[in-house]
Amino acid sequence: MARTDKRNQDKAISGQDLREMFVAATGWLEKCAADIDALNVFPVPDGDTGTNMLLTMRSSLEEAYRTSNDCGASGVAQAMARGALMGARGNSGVILSQIWNGLAQGLAEKESITGSDLVNALQLASTVAYKGLSNPVEGTILTVIKAAAAAAQAHATTVSDDVVSVLEATVDAAKESVANTPTLLPVLKEAGVVDAGGQGLYTLFEGALHYLKGETEQLKLRRPWMIASSIPLTAKVPQMVGVTEVPYGYCTNFLIKGQGLEPEKLRKSLEKKGQSVIVIGDDSAIRVHIHTLDPGEVMHHLVSQGTLHQISIRNMDEQYQDFLEMQKERMPAVDIAIVAVVAGEGLSNVFASLGATAIVPGGQTMNPSTKDLLQAVELVASGKVIILPNNKNIVLTAGQVQSLTAKKIEVVPAKTIPQGVAALLAFDYEADLETNVQNMNKATSVVKSIEVTRAIRSTRLGGFDIKRRQAIGFLDGALVAVADKPEDVLNEVLAKVKLDEAEVITIYYGADTTQAEAEQVGDAIRQEHPQLQVEVIQGGQPHYNYIVSVE
Amino acid sequence: MVVKIVTDSLGDIPSEVAEELGITVIPLNVHFGSDTFRDGIDLTSEQFYAKLAHSKIFPTTTVPPLSVFVDTYDKLAEETGEIAVITFSQKLGAGYDSALQARELMKRKCRVEVINSQWATMAQGFIVMAAAKAAQAGANIDQVVDGVRQNIRRVDVRVVFDTLEYLKRGGRIGKAQVFLGAVLNVNPILTLKGGETYPVAREHSRAKAIGYLYKFATSFSSIEGIAVEDATTPDEADELAKRLGSKFPKERIYRSKVSPAVGVHVGPHVLAVAVLRGKD
Repeated sequence: MARTDKRNQDKAISGQDLREMFVAATGWLEKCAADIDALNVFPVPDGDTGTNMLLTMRSSLEEAYRTSNDCGASGVAQAMARGALMGARGNSGVILSQIWNGLAQGLAEKESITGSDLVNALQLASTVAYKGLSNPVEGTILTVIKAAAAAAQAHATTVSDDVVSVLEATVDAAKESVANTPTLLPVLKEAGVVDAGGQGLYTLFEGALHYLKGETEQLKLRRPWMIASSIPLTAKVPQMVGVTEVPYGYCTNFLIKGQGLEPEKLRKSLEKKGQSVIVIGDDSAIRVHIHTLDPGEVMHHLVSQGTLHQISIRNMDEQYQDFLEMQKERMPAVDIAIVAVVAGEGLSNVFASLGATAIVPGGQTMNPSTKDLLQAVELVASGKVIILPNNKNIVLTAGQVQSLTAKKIEVVPAKTIPQGVAALLAFDYEADLETNVQNMNKATSVVKSIEVTRAIRSTRLGGFDIKRRQAIGFLDGALVAVADKPEDVLNEVLAKVKLDEAEVITIYYGADTTQAEAEQVGDAIRQEHPQLQVEVIQGGQPHYNYIVSVE
Repeated sequence: MVVKIVTDSLGDIPSEVAEELGITVIPLNVHFGSDTFRDGIDLTSEQFYAKLAHSKIFPTTTVPPLSVFVDTYDKLAEETGEIAVITFSQKLGAGYDSALQARELMKRKCRVEVINSQWATMAQGFIVMAAAKAAQAGANIDQVVDGVRQNIRRVDVRVVFDTLEYLKRGGRIGKAQVFLGAVLNVNPILTLKGGETYPVAREHSRAKAIGYLYKFATSFSSIEGIAVEDATTPDEADELAKRLGSKFPKERIYRSKVSPAVGVHVGPHVLAVAVLRGKD
């Protein structure tokens, strides 16, 4: 036991180490600050996150260098927290300064930092960071510090409380958490990027770890790793209902200095005046960050409380335009958008993931109006639009759109979901509109569509006597099978298709069908036709138990 | 005095062809953790993919140290006064920059021209091979460089992928990121455009994807060279080469393998067709 203690003692971080560690970490952050800036997605973090965090750290270090060499870890941490507060810029900088505030509280009266000290400090950092925000959002730097703190704790209790090893676990957890941010925050998912503030925090931790492990060569020669989103970029599916432009307003930052300031009270009063409100500090200095439509009013409101410093007001609509421009460069330069009519979340995902620019909800029982389609057509950025109706009852409606818009419209008359998917897959990013329409039309003709649904009333049709609620199966629109169970109907229809000549079968099961039922059908086909590529996908479509494509 | 041609291993030129044409190939480094291999020298394509299948760590690549370039130049400068270095696309890595910097560090006096091919795989290979042939036929360095610049526009490539995971991990996904996250199991087909990875099409089955490669290769009015490259499926590539053999003279069809350094970024199971179009 004594031996372990001794070792931990040796590895404990002194005040000077703490400072040098973050000098190295700040240098490490500087190397990728521009890359982090480029990750920015409005409106979650704003401005230049990488640069803001870097400047905040610099201010923090300046303060740390004002401390005497023998003031211990506690003194250095407090100085760094003070420096961070004074120099905090932007949303991410302010939260970073809160993290420093928490770290300093956790390290109070510590001469040097052991593994368990680090665990405590990280926990407090996480708590204080969350507290600083009136409305904490997950999928940001907050989530990353929380995950990092939790991992540090778990590592210390179950593996080792050696400070280097704890920091290693912290870095690993931060990295994983950053990669995961898009799953928590739709705006990141849409942009196909990770959270910039989270990446910045991870980079700082990683730089500190390199220093602590004596990896100066790494710090000098290599560059920080930019984490890729764990979920890939999918096309943005715009909301179809009543989208009105809301101005984003101004990102407003400043520092109030005075006496007897009351941060809590101040925050309450500001929450009425804007969004993303952050108010942190003490009775002598408070940092304010707010997104507001009227920055003048906010300042006017606060100038009576003390003196205002480091005022920064930025137009966020401009920032958003810059972001859109940057996004364009990351995408292929194709001026053709695809608008698809699809029902069901699973099927919508299929279409979006294959490059449909906009999805209009609709299908057999819910035919969208010409106006719905027109709205989607006007919404997409491209001047040329291909419409995939994916239902025979919508083809005509789609044909009306051309006369109502200045954009060039082509309708590829896909009458079923499988035809629509086949058409979408045939889209060639190098080809022009005309060639694409030709290829897509051709693709719809070679795919076979099977649809299985339930009869809504008893009837006689196509030589079949059908009872209400019985399952009925269509092959390319023609009724060919009737039975009580949808699975039996599907098998009957499949028996009419030459599966020996097919390559791929895709089964989209509907909202009324379970995955287990669908997998069973898929397995049976695989067994009988081992050469086939069989995919079972949750389509989530209403009314149709199965929609199946055979290619 | 013949102009010497230097390139890097991302050009996937079959070694016997490189030897016959007197092309010097500088190998990139392939790293599995702390193990380093010289592309195609310490590690063949087969060995690489066998290793990849069992490795828990993702391999990485680096351009060799400047000294490797400098030594290569200096050694060639003993025999010639003119060297043309044709590198893989500058947008895919530091090969061009290293090749250029190394020129300043040479001990011998020799004219070295460094050209960014804007390609990789046999698309780059064809440019390099054409340059070597021109050099052998007596072209001077200006003529060689001029030829390279023209041939950059005459080559093209299509690569069928099994997964885009490797491109994404290695940070070379480029604009092909629009193909990520497809809910269906599709085979993405990519090219290089302006030196960057670029999405072209998707096919729902492997057979259709190979059909796409065939159509691509046969879509040109005149063709001077076709290369079929595989990673882990030589039979498939042989079959495709055979099919193409009924359309084109066999001596214009090359069979090549994806080099380990390319393999790091494209993963297993890729199949590629590169072409050198005829002069219009």
